Amino acid sequence: MTGFDLHRAWSVARKEVMHILRDPFTLALALGLPVMLVTFFGYAIDFEVRDIKVAVADRDSGPAARRLKEIFSASGYFRLLETDGNPVEMLDSRRADAALFIEPGFSRDALAGRPARAQFVLDGSDNSKGAVMMGYLPGIQRAAALRLYGSEPAPAPLRLETRFLFNPELNSRWFMVPGLGAIIIGLLAILLTAMTVAREWENGSMELLLSTPVRPLEIIIGKLAPYGLLVLTGVFFVYLSARLVFGVPFLGSHLLFLLACLLFITAALSQGLFISVVTRQQQVAMQVGIISGLLPSMLLSGFIFPVESMPPFFQYFTMLLPPRWFIVAARGSFLKGAGAAELAVPLLALAGLSLLLLTLALKKFKTDLEP
Amino acid sequence: MPGFAIRTEGLKKNFGAVRALRGVSFDFSEGLLHGLIGSNGAGKTTTMRLLAGLLKPSAGSVRYSLDGRPAEFAQVRPGLAYMPQQASLYPDLSIDEHLQFFRALYRLDAATYARRSKELLGITRLDKFRERRAGQLSGGMYKKLGLMCALLQSPSVLLLDEPTNGVDPISRREFWELLYALAADKILVIVSTAYMDEAERCSRVHLLDAGALLASGEPRAVLKERGAANFEEIFIKGANG
Repeated sequence: MTGFDLHRAWSVARKEVMHILRDPFTLALALGLPVMLVTFFGYAIDFEVRDIKVAVADRDSGPAARRLKEIFSASGYFRLLETDGNPVEMLDSRRADAALFIEPGFSRDALAGRPARAQFVLDGSDNSKGAVMMGYLPGIQRAAALRLYGSEPAPAPLRLETRFLFNPELNSRWFMVPGLGAIIIGLLAILLTAMTVAREWENGSMELLLSTPVRPLEIIIGKLAPYGLLVLTGVFFVYLSARLVFGVPFLGSHLLFLLACLLFITAALSQGLFISVVTRQQQVAMQVGIISGLLPSMLLSGFIFPVESMPPFFQYFTMLLPPRWFIVAARGSFLKGAGAAELAVPLLALAGLSLLLLTLALKKFKTDLEP
Repeated sequence: MPGFAIRTEGLKKNFGAVRALRGVSFDFSEGLLHGLIGSNGAGKTTTMRLLAGLLKPSAGSVRYSLDGRPAEFAQVRPGLAYMPQQASLYPDLSIDEHLQFFRALYRLDAATYARRSKELLGITRLDKFRERRAGQLSGGMYKKLGLMCALLQSPSVLLLDEPTNGVDPISRREFWELLYALAADKILVIVSTAYMDEAERCSRVHLLDAGALLASGEPRAVLKERGAANFEEIFIKGANG
């Protein structure tokens, strides 16, 4: 009766494997859904802005103005819409995202080697799109200077040389896919465990189990282990999708990444277990699982919004969220070639959170039927 | 087989404002087939769960004894088997897989398991359906499988919460024959039921109504003492009086 009995935990795990293998839905959910969602959203979520509609008021019509417009078009980001009317009206009616004003004399000044000015007006109502558009303009300006004047603009007295390491093309999919994988895998692990333990409570089999000599830790380990393996297989498919479909490089250590995955999955499974132990109902467990698993990891993990730009309270709060640490470990492993020293903090944090959540679940796991 | 007995004194159980048991004293003496009789909501399941250690009393006590000497619940627990009222087996596991699973939980060695499972499959006549999944069994067969899982460890105390509920009359009779065989082995069997006709099959009855004990004793003696022709009458009188 006393102590942990591995044989009993193994028999609970074997029973769970039978349930999984006989339930095609769970199997498909665990193995197919992560890779499908990562591929689907990996294509859909893209921070690059393309096909920006620019209303052009060309009041110069000279050769330099034409070249300037060619440069905008050739960048691949802008689609020029010539207009005789007021381009700002096109911004108002959302037919254009920006407006380009080329005043008379532009070509004359440019061809004479004098400074030539054109005005680019952006729709500030969508500030994130506006910021991305702003980011494209220095490149356009440099290309225009080369074409029209034969040289880049004169350097300012102080010039910051900027260069992007790890993701030189700023490919947003390379940045997004590892994080997206983390969120989907985390949510899946929470939901699978929350549902399976709550199901035992709901259909009464927990009442039968609790009347046998099996101990809570044996039930918990036996329940978590098969789902851990299942989710880990899901991670492998996500990894393949990231590498083969999106061409995300993997520069770090596979062993360290595997360790991070195992710790993150343990934390997520423990969170699911905690939810199911407290709620004891599948429906409620699913709702709590989705809310607690999806929202914080989407909004507070650094997946979309950098943690560093959050108010101090939230920066501390995010430390309690396993996805925050796993995203650091995943992006570090994929894009930065992070080693043990760089991953020590996220790995330790994940280990600590896993232990905390597992202990909480164990403490809350009742060996009786008291409400 | 060690002789287990269970006695309760002033047993109370409240769930918030609901008073499920109102100070009940039972005497479940050893080696007998006890029937806990009462309609729905009488407090049968609460009593069973209290006896199985799955609920804690709000007041009063549950006392166990082993061969006439007081025993702690921890001493009784390895020999205690409980079959809940709610369908609690796994519909996607076969009869064999259930037995294997419970064998592992009870840590039975291969020889004991082989002997015990053969014996149980024989007396329940489920040996031809070993590969059939629990979800595909009839109501009677399902209850028998639950009983087999509980009996696999050769318990000394068997708590069965409404085992014949929703089972056809022929399967019910078969089930009771199984219980007689168990009681003959000196196992303390406590069966709860809402079927009044089943009360007469028990060696001792305990009539529960709205969380209180109406009567207790040998079935015929209880009927005689209450001047009733059957057990329904006692409950009807109890409700009216």
